This record gives sequence, structure tokens and C-alpha cells, in this order.
Amino acid sequence: MFAMKRLWNRPTQKSAYDTVIIGGGLHGLAAAYYLARDHGLTDVAVIDRRYIGFGGAGRNTAIVRANQRTQENVHLYNEGLKLWPELTRELDFNLMFYNCGNLNLVHSEAGLGAFRMNVATAQFCGVKSELLDAKGCKEVVPQLDISDRLKFPIYGGMYHPPGGTIRHDALVWGLAKGAAKKGVHILQQTEVMDIGVDKGRVTSVRTDKGVINARRVLIAAGGYSTLLCRMVGILLPIHVLTIQAMVSQPMKPFLHHVVSSGTYHAYCHQSLKGELVTGSHMDPWPNYTTRVTARYIKHQAEALTEMMPCLKGLKFMRIWSGLADMTPDMAPIMDGNTQVENLFYDAGWGYFGFKSAPIAGRYMAKWIATGQRPDILSPFGLERYREARLQGETSTPINYGPWD
Amino acid sequence: MSYLLTCPVCGKRNGYEFRFGGEERGPRPDEKDLTPQSWLEWAHLRENVGGPQKEWWCHQQGCGLWFTTWRNTLTNHETPPEEGKS
Repeated sequence: MFAMKRLWNRPTQKSAYDTVIIGGGLHGLAAAYYLARDHGLTDVAVIDRRYIGFGGAGRNTAIVRANQRTQENVHLYNEGLKLWPELTRELDFNLMFYNCGNLNLVHSEAGLGAFRMNVATAQFCGVKSELLDAKGCKEVVPQLDISDRLKFPIYGGMYHPPGGTIRHDALVWGLAKGAAKKGVHILQQTEVMDIGVDKGRVTSVRTDKGVINARRVLIAAGGYSTLLCRMVGILLPIHVLTIQAMVSQPMKPFLHHVVSSGTYHAYCHQSLKGELVTGSHMDPWPNYTTRVTARYIKHQAEALTEMMPCLKGLKFMRIWSGLADMTPDMAPIMDGNTQVENLFYDAGWGYFGFKSAPIAGRYMAKWIATGQRPDILSPFGLERYREARLQGETSTPINYGPWD
Repeated sequence: MSYLLTCPVCGKRNGYEFRFGGEERGPRPDEKDLTPQSWLEWAHLRENVGGPQKEWWCHQQGCGLWFTTWRNTLTNHETPPEEGKS
């Protein structure tokens, strides 16, 4: 009577697929979904070492926004923002998009200057974003302490109404359901051991379950993409760092925006379950673990209660960490068909991998299916580092924080 | 995540006292024969080893010494040098 209906089936691995996607996270699943939906390519396998959504897809803090610094990025993220309502309908899956808006705080004149640039870019690109003074910030989020009691008093902020939060697991399940329904094979607990290359062209992927012949391969494995790219001799300008996040006990609804501060290295929002979801900055040494430390619980408690004193006494419930693959210019690397023919990679998203997943997957799918790099992706090639054309995303306010 | 790192001067100390200085990747290339590709390789590209790697650290909140050590990036534990290749 209550027979469980699976959202996706458990196919056995075939010996050949047209396209193999390594990484069952949001970027991989989105690419698979759009390959099937837009290009009729259904002979596709999505491989994951653990289970889909085990990595960054399930470890992010589910915030979406399009208030980056440079035009190239804002266009991409803005298109991504418009996909949420569309995907909710299309996948017939409630992604719980909560369009609450983001408030980024600054604590100095220099920080406000940086935000002035972001707002100018946003307005130029037709994205809603505005500057606020401290009083304006308090009108948006009344819990903020805008007095000079703080170590870093709140000087102003950037308010970005189009942003918000999404239920991240729902997006994983929705995309997996949508892709599987169109015939994509989702192969979980399948580890990639090697990638076969013959005469400069990708030929196969060897997993712990056997060899898969593949005409095309997409590496979209988040922080682990560096390890996979190394298998075919591609080195990337990436540092893989862990970033920790945590949730508090649930409370009645009180916070109706995403609030962040680069100076305090803290961002938070209240989930629809009532928990305060908060993240901090990264552990500053590259590693592939997902361990957590008490250091950041203390750090978050100090930062949050300073900015919002009403949070004092709140208890944290869970803490976890995920990998952020940081590039020197804080912009992603979407490339392919260069060093190895028919091998594509979608990496270096740092902590922007969640909000960008469907739109990046959609354009990577277009590139893979047509063989032509879509214009919107042309600024994100690896060659920009050789040509010293780094993007300007590093002017995000985190650099204005008082680092030690 | 947290781990102890052995400073040659101060001994085992909390990892957060140290500043990570990057993978050991040899001397800076000679500028005479520099090409965009060789500069890219030195300045930006990283091995990102999953396993033991030789790397630079500075005991920033201690004695200030710069030193190299071996660490396994999959476990975040110090690895004795004999386990890794030099």
C-alpha cells in the first residue's frame, strides 16, 4: 500500500556510454539533466564515489545570489538565479526557493568602496542590488547592533533582494530524478581509478566496477576534480581548502534575510526549519578531509553574538565541513577539449559551487553536446592564467577583513 | 581538521599557530628564459597531491621559523619523511 517509489533507479554499469560524468554532485547531475533535456543525449552515466550529494552538494549553506564583482560572473549567476522557479516546475520537485534577499555588511570605508563597485556592476547588468548605510541595514535586519560597541562597528551594507536560499538536498534529488527519468544512469559507490587517454583523446574511464568506454568525459567532482585532472596530467591553479559550517537549534522565525560579514568571517540565515545556518571562513591549508574543529564553533559564536546580540545563549546542534576548490581569482575554471580531446572539466568554484550548479551544468552540457564553447563560458578557460587575464573577483570584501 | 605540527624549534604545536606556505616546488625559475607557460606552471599550477606531500610551513605565532615537512593531505596527519619520496 505504501510501496516506496524510487526517484531514480539503480542501474548496473554498462561497458560503454557516450558521455561519462565524474561526480554526482549538483554540477554533474545538472549537466546530465540538461544533456538529456536539451540535446537528447541520454546515453550518459553519472559516477559518484560515495552517494549523490555526499560532497559539496550536501555540505553548502544553500545560499544563492548574483552580486559578484565582475560582469562575466554576474551574467552567469543571474541567469542561474532565474532557473530556480523554472526548475521547481520542470522537475516537479519543491526546491523550497526562499527569495529572502542577502545583506552583506561592511565595517569600513574601504569595504563600502568595494561594494560600490559590486553594486555598479549589478546595476549595469540589470541585477537589483543597493548600498545601505548602517541605519538602512538595521531597518532590513532589526537584530543588528549598529552601535560602536562592536570590535568592527557596522558601517553599511549591500542589499541584494533577488538572492535567497534553496533546499540543497531537494535540488540534488530533483535533478537526479529528472535525469534518471530521461534515461541517465546514476552509478553510486563507484570510484574512478583511472581515465584512459589514447593519442590525445579520452577513451575510457576505469572504475572499481570495471572499464567504461566513453566518447566524452566531464570531470565535475568539486574539490576532488584536482585529483581526477591529475590522472590525465592536467594541473590546475587550485587550492583545495575545507570550509566549516554549522546549524543551531531551531527557533521561531526571526531572521528574514541572509546576513553576512566578510570582516567577521561569518554568514548566516535562518532555514525554513528554524535553525540558524552559519558558515565561517576556510581552514588555511589544502587537504581532502572533511574534519571539523571547535575553533570555528567558538569563532561563529563570537562573531554572530557580536553582530546580533539577541543570539546569545543559542546552542549549536551540528557542525560539518566541505571542500572548497579555490582559484587565485575566485572565479571558476570551465574548460575542455584542449589538453585532452573530448575531456571537459568544471572546477575551481570555491564556495560558489552551489548557486551556480544548474546554470554551469546547462552550459557545460551545451558545450559537450555541440562541441562549441558557449560565449558566456569563454572568460572561464584555464588559458586566462597563462595570459595573465585573471578575473577581478578577489575584490570581494573578504580581502578587506583584518587578517592576521 | 585540527592537527599538531612539529616545529623544529618548538616541537609539537597546534596547527592553527602555523601559516601554510605551499607545496615545495623548487626554486623560482630564472627570469632569463621565462615563458608564459613556465611562469604559469611555477606561479599558479599546483600538484594538489592526494597523499603525502612535502610542503612549507611558518611557525607564525611561535618562533617564526620557515621549514619544510611532510603531511598526508588525505588524513591531515604529519607523515614521517621516510614514508614519502624526497
